[in-house]
Amino acid sequence: MTEVEWAALLRAANAGDARAYRRFLHAITPMLRGLVRARGGSLGAEHCEDIVQEVLLAIHLKRHTWRSDAPLRPWLYAIARHKVIDAFRARGQRVDLPLGDFAELIAADPGPDPTEASDALRMIERLDPRSAEIVRAIGIDGEEIAETSRRLEMTEGAVRVVLHRAFKRLAALRERHIE
Amino acid sequence: MKTDQLIAALAADAPAEPGLGASLARWLLPALALTALALLGIWGLRPGLAAALMQPAVAAKVALPLVLAGTALVLALRSSRPEARPSLLPLAVLGALALALLAAGLLTTPQARWPQAWLGNTALACLISIPALAVLPLAAGLLALRRGASTSPARTGLLAGLLAGAAATALYALHCPEDSPLFYVCWYGLGIVISGAAGRLLGPRLLRW
Repeated sequence: MTEVEWAALLRAANAGDARAYRRFLHAITPMLRGLVRARGGSLGAEHCEDIVQEVLLAIHLKRHTWRSDAPLRPWLYAIARHKVIDAFRARGQRVDLPLGDFAELIAADPGPDPTEASDALRMIERLDPRSAEIVRAIGIDGEEIAETSRRLEMTEGAVRVVLHRAFKRLAALRERHIE
Repeated sequence: MKTDQLIAALAADAPAEPGLGASLARWLLPALALTALALLGIWGLRPGLAAALMQPAVAAKVALPLVLAGTALVLALRSSRPEARPSLLPLAVLGALALALLAAGLLTTPQARWPQAWLGNTALACLISIPALAVLPLAAGLLALRRGASTSPARTGLLAGLLAGAAATALYALHCPEDSPLFYVCWYGLGIVISGAAGRLLGPRLLRW
């Protein structure tokens, strides 16, 4: 998939298209994984996957800062670089990432999709029970928002609000984990 | 949690989000309106404002901060995008313009009157008023920019502080009766710098992500 196609997906996503958004996140993940592994192979696959997930969460919470007429890759790289440096610092390591673009960094083979990342579950456990249940239901059990809202007797809007706050909270928890 | 599962959860949370410019407007406009009301209610407009504004030196003390506020606004928004490294050169140009005004003031004022023109009668009031008027716009600007993704939060904070300080100064200039560039380049400038420094200090705390 090319950068132009990614940009089209994110543009649709920012206009509210959840399917395009999912495809976008899937499409960029191997590149992010390649970036993290190229620099942090010594951390082990599981920790690398934690960092990939941190970057995905940051992209999610900051996706509106991409201007739809701007090139996508420099934006993506800047977010990834910022979070990767943070994440390595949190683990007591330094990482050197040049300013600029993915160009030379994505040569690394992203390798197979690892099974699990450990941080996310630990962080989810620290959410309030309702938020944790909703994140688990939609992420891990693969429920649709509509199913979750019926099961928990909440409106779909309320489930969405809880889910959105949960992601903000998760990002803040990871941030604290860095302190 | 697998990354695919995280992606599924993230994709479920994909409402359309307003851009950063829209949220800045939503926070900043009310803050500026309240600040303008405070100026009208507490400080008041100077007598004969319309006639005074016809003089170039008086027009300049309103116009220059307005241009600075606009420039800082554009740069603050730009620097809130993660990939951006906006140059601060436009600010240097405006600083040079202010210094040119000061030089023109020195040339047109007899040397014996420099101290009086420089200190005026309200320097302290000016130094207190400008940062005070900047508080609300600075708070609003920084809160709005928290939605941004600045990779240089100190710089973005500085720009938010300059924006707030310059906007406060343009308003204060409508009250302030001191019209010598010797006075306003120094004291207005210092007021704007104080606000900028406050933003510079708060940025790293408030704008990290």
